Amino acid sequence: MRADVGKFMETARQELKNQQSQMFLMMVSLGAPLLRQIGMSSFPDPVAAESYVRAIRAEVIARMPELLEEFERSATARGAKVLWARDAAQANNMILDIARQRNVSYVMKGKSMITEEIGLNEYLISNGIEALETDLGEVITQNLSLPPFHLVGPAINVPPAKISKAFLKKGIIEKETIDPVELGGGARKYLREKFRHLQMGIVGINMAVAQTGTIINVENEGNIRLIKSSPKTLVAIMSLEKVIPTMEDAVYMTRILARNCTGQKLTTYVSMDTGPKKHDELDGPEELFIIILDNGRSAIYENHHTREILKCIRCGACLNTCPVYTKIGGYPYGSTYCGPIGQVLTPMLSGMEKTTDLYRACTLCGMCKKICPAGIDHPSLLLSYRAREIDGNKKKGKKLENAMASLVSMGMSHRWLWNLGVNMTRPLLNRFAHDGAINNIPVGVQGWFRCRDLQAMPAKTFHETWDDLQSDSVPSEKTKHMEDS
Amino acid sequence: MVDVEGGSNDMNVSLFIPCTVDVMMPEIGVATHGLLTNLGVQTIYHKEQTCCGQPLFNAGYRDQARKAAKHFIDVFGEDEWIVSPSGSCVCMVKYHYPELLEDEPLWHNRAQDLAGRIYELSQFVVDILKVSDVGAKYAGKVAYHESCHILRGLNISDQPKKLIAGVEGTQLVDFNNSAACCGFGGEFSIHYPEISEAMVKDKVTNFITSGADILLLCEPGCLLNISGYLHRNHPGRKAQHLACFLVENIKKV
Repeated sequence: MRADVGKFMETARQELKNQQSQMFLMMVSLGAPLLRQIGMSSFPDPVAAESYVRAIRAEVIARMPELLEEFERSATARGAKVLWARDAAQANNMILDIARQRNVSYVMKGKSMITEEIGLNEYLISNGIEALETDLGEVITQNLSLPPFHLVGPAINVPPAKISKAFLKKGIIEKETIDPVELGGGARKYLREKFRHLQMGIVGINMAVAQTGTIINVENEGNIRLIKSSPKTLVAIMSLEKVIPTMEDAVYMTRILARNCTGQKLTTYVSMDTGPKKHDELDGPEELFIIILDNGRSAIYENHHTREILKCIRCGACLNTCPVYTKIGGYPYGSTYCGPIGQVLTPMLSGMEKTTDLYRACTLCGMCKKICPAGIDHPSLLLSYRAREIDGNKKKGKKLENAMASLVSMGMSHRWLWNLGVNMTRPLLNRFAHDGAINNIPVGVQGWFRCRDLQAMPAKTFHETWDDLQSDSVPSEKTKHMEDS
Repeated sequence: MVDVEGGSNDMNVSLFIPCTVDVMMPEIGVATHGLLTNLGVQTIYHKEQTCCGQPLFNAGYRDQARKAAKHFIDVFGEDEWIVSPSGSCVCMVKYHYPELLEDEPLWHNRAQDLAGRIYELSQFVVDILKVSDVGAKYAGKVAYHESCHILRGLNISDQPKKLIAGVEGTQLVDFNNSAACCGFGGEFSIHYPEISEAMVKDKVTNFITSGADILLLCEPGCLLNISGYLHRNHPGRKAQHLACFLVENIKKV
C-alpha cells in the first residue's frame, strides 16, 4: 500500500494516540541506538571505522558514473545481462516482460526498498503475476496492506493477533496463534513450498561491486539466499548509488551496515553472487538480469548539495534517534522511506510541492547528522529545501508571505524600526495576558498554546535596560582599581 | 570578584543579545552582562543590534536573512570577542552566515572572519577566561538540558557542567535523555504542535523524575518552550538560563 504524504499530520496524530505504536517506538528509540553503540564499539577504533566508511561513500559519489560503467563491464563479462532503466515504469515493464516471456505465474521477492519505491508488487499483481514477499516483516505488511513502519523492521509494530488473522485468511497458518515462533514457522513452511517450484526470483542489491561485477545482499532470514540460488531466472535491481568500487570496500561496508542497522557485527547471511551459474556449478540461476535504475537519482546527483543523499546505505540509524520519527513512526512519511532519510529523499523523488511537511517537520536538532555513518548532513538539506520552496512561492506569485518576511528583515536591519515593531506588538500581545502569562491568542500562533503558555512581554527590552545597567552596574576590576588608588 | 586566569582586565567583550532575550527575556541579557562584569570583563553593547536572522533562515527566507546577516556583520564590525547567551544564534552567525554569503566574496570573507570571534557564553567563560568557579553558592540539585545547537552545533557540553560544578553546594543530577531535543525548533513548535508537545512532555517528565529543583540550560529558545510548558502543566517547577542561575547565586561579599 502506498500512503500519502499529504496526510502527514493526520496520520501523525493517529500514531501519537496509538498505544501499540508508541510502545514500539519507545523500544526502538531506547534499544536500537544502544545496540548500535555496542556494535560500533567492537571496532578497535570506532571513530576511524566511521571515517573510513564515510571515505568509501564519498568515493562512490565522486566516481559514480565511471563506477557504474565499470560494474556493467564486469558483470557482463561474468555472464549477467545488465539493463538500464530510466524510471519506475521502465523497470516495472522490464521485469514484467522477463516474467511473461518465461510464463511464470508467480515471483518471489527479497526485502528491497527499491521495489517498494517503484511499486513493483502492485504492478505485477495488476498484470496477473503473483508477487510474494519472503522477508517475514514484508510478508506481514504485504498481507495486511501496510506501508513500512521502519526502514529495517517494516512490521515491528504489528501485534501478533493481527498477524495471526491475516495469516489464517491467507492459509499461511491453520489455526490462530499469537506465538511469534509459530507465526514465523508457519510463514517458513508456507514459503518453502513456494520456493520448491520457484522459477523466477527478484531481489534488491545492497552493494554492486564495480571491480568484480558481484552483487551482494545482507539479510538475517535466509530468504534472499534462497531466491538468489533456487530459481532458473533471477532479476536483481539496484538504484545507481549501490555501486561500490572494490570487494575490500564492500566487505568493510557489510560490517558497518550490520552494526548500524541492528547492532550485529555481521548479518546472519551475506550472499555474494558473480554472474549466473557456471557449467560446473550445482546451484544458482541460469540467467541473471541486473537492472540499474535511475528513477530520479541522476537529477539528485546533478546538484552538488543534494548529491550527498546518495551516500545513504539504508541502515536506518537516523530513524532510531530522530525525535520526530520516534514519536510518530513510519506511516506519516507516506512513502517507502521514513524518518530523516525519507525527509531528504522523498521530496527529491516525489517533488517539493506535495512534500512540504517532510522538510518542515523537523527541529533541526542534528541527531541524524551526528549518527549517520555515511556522513549525510540532513538538516542542511532540509534547510535548502525550505529555501527552494520559498523561492518557488515567490515565482508563483505568493507574495504576501514574502513581503511579510521582507518587512521583518527590514526591522532587523534598522533598530529604530525594530523598536517600533516591539512597541506595537507589546500591547497587542499583552492584551491576552493574565497574571503575567498568555495562555492563548486567537490568531496566528495557536499551535504554541496547545500545551504551553507564553510569558507576557516585559515592559522593557534589553536594549532599553542597557543604560540603566551602565549606571548601576558592578564596578569592573579596572574601575575599582582606579577608585582604590 | 573571582580570579580570572585566562582573561585580562582590559578585555572588551561585545554582547550579542539574541532577539528572544532582548524582547522576551531581557533578564538573561542582564545576567550575561552581570556575570561577565563580575569576572572583571568590560562589556560593550551595540545598540544597533537586533536579530541574527535565524528565524528567517530556518523558514527558508534566505534573501531576507542575508540582509539581516549583513546588518549584523556591520554592527559587530571588528569586535575581538563577541559573546552570546544562545547556542543556536552563535551557530547561525558562525556557520550559516558564511554559507548565506558564499556568492559575495567580500561579505563572505567578513562572515568567515567574524565566525572566529564569536562564542557562546559558557564556552567563553570556561575556555577563554579559564574560569569554572564564578563564586556562586546554591544548596540544591539541578539538572542540565543539553540543547541541540549547544551540544551538536557547537560541541559544548563540559563547559556549562563545569560552571555548575563550580557552584558551592550544588549537585548536578543524572538527567535521562538530557541530549534529546525539547521540541522547540522555532516554527516547528507552532506548526507541528502535537509532535512538539510529545517531545517537550518527555523532556519535562525526565526533568521531574531526575529529582532536580531547577532545570538549567543555555538556550533561550528551549527555555521559552520548556518554561512555557512548565507554567501550564507543572506550575512551581522551574527552568532557568545558566547565566541567571549563576548571577542570582553569586555570593555577596
